[in-house]
Formats: sequence, C-alpha cells, structure tokens
Amino acid sequence: MNVQVPQFLRSDATDMAGLGTSPIPAEPYYRPEFFELEREAIFRRTWLQIGHVSELPRPGTFIVRPVEVANASVLLTRGRDGAIRAFHNVCTHRGTQLVSEAEGARTSFTCPYHAWTFGNDGELRAAPDAERFYVDTADCALKKIAVDVCAGLIFINLAPSPKESLREFLGEMAEQLEALPVAKATTFSEYVYDIDANWKLTYDNFQENYHLRVVHPDTSGAGIGPDNPFGYPLSFGFFGPHRSQTIWLNPAATVEPIQGMAYGKLAEFAVGEGLGGLPANPAYLALFPNFFMLGSIGTPFSHTVMPISATRSRGVIRFYWVGDDDSASKRFAREYSTAAGVDIHSEDRAIIEAGQQGLNSGALKHIHFQEQEVLLRHFFQTVMDHVDAYRATLSDPS
Amino acid sequence: MSGADQRLPPGFEALDPYVDTWALETADQRAKQRLVTPEAERTAFYEAAKPLLTKALGFLDGKPIGQFDEREARLMDLMLSLAHVSLAVEVQRANEAKHAQGAKHITIVRSAAAAP
Repeated sequence: MNVQVPQFLRSDATDMAGLGTSPIPAEPYYRPEFFELEREAIFRRTWLQIGHVSELPRPGTFIVRPVEVANASVLLTRGRDGAIRAFHNVCTHRGTQLVSEAEGARTSFTCPYHAWTFGNDGELRAAPDAERFYVDTADCALKKIAVDVCAGLIFINLAPSPKESLREFLGEMAEQLEALPVAKATTFSEYVYDIDANWKLTYDNFQENYHLRVVHPDTSGAGIGPDNPFGYPLSFGFFGPHRSQTIWLNPAATVEPIQGMAYGKLAEFAVGEGLGGLPANPAYLALFPNFFMLGSIGTPFSHTVMPISATRSRGVIRFYWVGDDDSASKRFAREYSTAAGVDIHSEDRAIIEAGQQGLNSGALKHIHFQEQEVLLRHFFQTVMDHVDAYRATLSDPS
Repeated sequence: MSGADQRLPPGFEALDPYVDTWALETADQRAKQRLVTPEAERTAFYEAAKPLLTKALGFLDGKPIGQFDEREARLMDLMLSLAHVSLAVEVQRANEAKHAQGAKHITIVRSAAAAP
C-alpha cells in the first residue's frame, strides 16, 4: 500500500494507513520486561539481516557474527558447493564457542576445548577417542540456523522451523531490494557505534525527517530546502511488517567544492557500474525488525540496529559498492561519502542517547508521533502485534 | 628537499609539511585525526591541499592503486584525509567542535577493498 502525501502541505490523512492517531506508550522504549518479550516474540523468530554475500567470496570462507539479543554467535560458511550455511557457533560436545575469529578462510573448525573437528558443512568430522562416547558422530553436527539470501543480503532466522520463507517474509520488498546497488555490490565500507538507547528509539530516528533541520543544520544538505523545510518524503509505503519512503531532495541545494567533486565522481562511476538507472529521488526501504537501506548513488548505505538490552544497542552502517576501489578518484569519492555518513550518524547518535535518558526517568507515560512520523507508528504497531501474538501463545497452553 | 628525501611525488612538495600528521593508513585514523586537530591546523591543511586535489587524483588515476609506490601511497592518504577535513571546513564550519564530541563514538572498521 502506498500513501501519497500532498506535497509539503498538512495532509488530511491524519489516520494514515489505518494506524490511528493515539499517543504511544513510553514503557516499551525502556522497560527490561518488554525487551524480554521482544527477544522471544521478534528476534528469535524473525528473519534478521546478518551479512552480505561479498563477505563469503569463495568456497572455504567464513564469518562469525554476534546476535546479542539472542545470546547467539552465528557461524556462516560458504561450502565447496557454493552454498551459504549458518550454524550456531557452538561445539556440540559441551557447548564451547567453536570459532573465535570474526572471519577467515578454512574448511574445518576445531574446538579449542577437546578438539572436536567440524567441516564447513557442519558435520562432525572427527572427535578424539570418539568410541568412548555414547552418541554417534553423525548425530553431533553443528546446530543449523535457517539462512537465505536476497539482493546479496544474507538473512538468518533463529527459529528451529521458521513459519515462512525469506521471500514470503519480504514480499514486495524483495523486488525493490534487488533494484538497489546492494544487489550488485562486491565490497563495502563499514562503520559502527555503540549507543545507550533502546533499539526502537534508535531505529525510529532514522524513519523520520522531522528532526533534520534541528539535529543536522549543516549536514542535511539536499535533504531539506525552502520548499520543504522539514524534508518530508514524497510518499510512504507499507508492506506487511515492512515500510518505505521516497526521499525528497532539494534540486537547488548548495554544494560545497569538494563535496560536489566527490558526489559528481560517484555519479559518473555509477553509470559504469550499471547503476545509472536509479531514480533521482532515492528509495528508503525499512525491513522489520531492525534493518533499513537507502538506495541512492552517492550514499548507498544500510543501517542495522542490533539490540543488546532494553537501553543499549549497536549500530552497523555499510556503504555497498560495486567493484573494488580501482582508481584513486573512486577511492577518494567513496571515502568522502562514508565520512559524510559518519558526520550525520554521529549527530543522530548523540540526540538519540539524550532521548533515552529522558525516557528512562519514567516521567512520560506516552510519547507522540505526528502525521509525518507515520513510519514510526507503523513500526511500533508491528512490534506490538508480534508481542501480543507471542503473549497469546503464553496464555494459551494449546 | 629533493631526491631520496622526497616523501611525495614531484609536483606535490607543498604538501610535505602535512605528511606527518595527515598521511594516515586507515580511514578511522584519518577520521579521528580530523577530530583532534585544532581548527587552525585543519584549515591550513585544507587550504594547502584543496588546490592540489584535482591534480593529485589525476596523477594517481594513471596507475592502479595496488601498484602505488610509497610516495604515491602517501599522496593518496593525504587526499583521503582531505576528504575528512573538507567536511569540517566546508560543511560543519563553526559546529565542528560540537560535532567532534559525537563523532568520536563512531569507528570506521572497513574501507572498500582495493583492486590488486
């Protein structure tokens, strides 16, 4: 469903997308009890973006990624058959964490405790003095995690039997993701941050433009302008648990000298990388629960907010690029774009923490979303739907 | 300075005073150097390097990145530092000091890969 907002005028669509206009309860943004519900209701049973195929460029490569909210460490491998597999990074003997490196190239993994050795297909290949065990080695494979790929993005689902496939989960979003640079990307730049803030509060900041002119007075760039002082989007879209917006850009924005040079080069390179057909007004795609992506030529970044506790999270931002830095100009332009992203996101991080400090006091029973914060409302409602459905399973023993 | 003492390719000697501070190998080092360098020093580097940016990239584009010698790699790193510093000078301007407080909490862990 797409909702077009009359351009930069107050919309009559105050009840946009049937989401109501009520205040939003504040406790879900800081109460540990609610976070525990989210951990089970959402993160242990929803498809989560965990990596990109370029991190497993050839058979025998592997990566290890933490998923703190599930107390999990995930081992992702690419096998000789080219398939990507995901396992709990846990030796099946006595539970020791198997692999300590974050990435590498190795086709077998030996536990540092008693030297059980597993193949990158998860099978137990050897265990010292195996005949003294009361279990077959065939039954001791690493514990599999459901994994699938869309648009080059690797997703996992920690449920033993996910209720839907990744494609079913993504719905219409799959096709939109596949049109973005990330689908063709072969490499990326990455920066990370830790933040004392709830994952939803953190994520919400990036779903609305209402804050741009206040928090980013210098770095908003073409995101705001006299015609659209708040930088409100051209349209919103709602796709099951996911959502989108079409970003407005000011065609008359002031461009600084080196800024103009860097983004000009990125536009030139994009044509050669097969990305020239991207729309001038980029798509912002938000996948439930904690991932969003901006599909612009100059700033083709994804942002994943990993929950750690009710009031602590970790952000991972990646700028996805097609092809290596094969020239000095390309390296310069990509570094500029990444550094400009750091500027904006560091401003966001500071204000989000200030928001969390206020909420932690318990002074507010409710917070308020305006019409142009409708993506936040949709997100909150989706979280509540998942939590309510999970609560229902707790109270219904059948 | 000439010959073996020269730290940058010919034509870029004017940037030699900035090598020690700004010819840094990783993107995170470059980002953090921007944050801790006083405004006057930052601006001096920007003013010296900006007029040479187009020339430097044009010169370096003539060779694959993986084949840069030490002087060329140094010049590349200086231009990459200029990318960071230009954000302070051109974009953040008077707000750079405030910006630096928040930006120190962000870590660049990976730059895009270089072709061999």
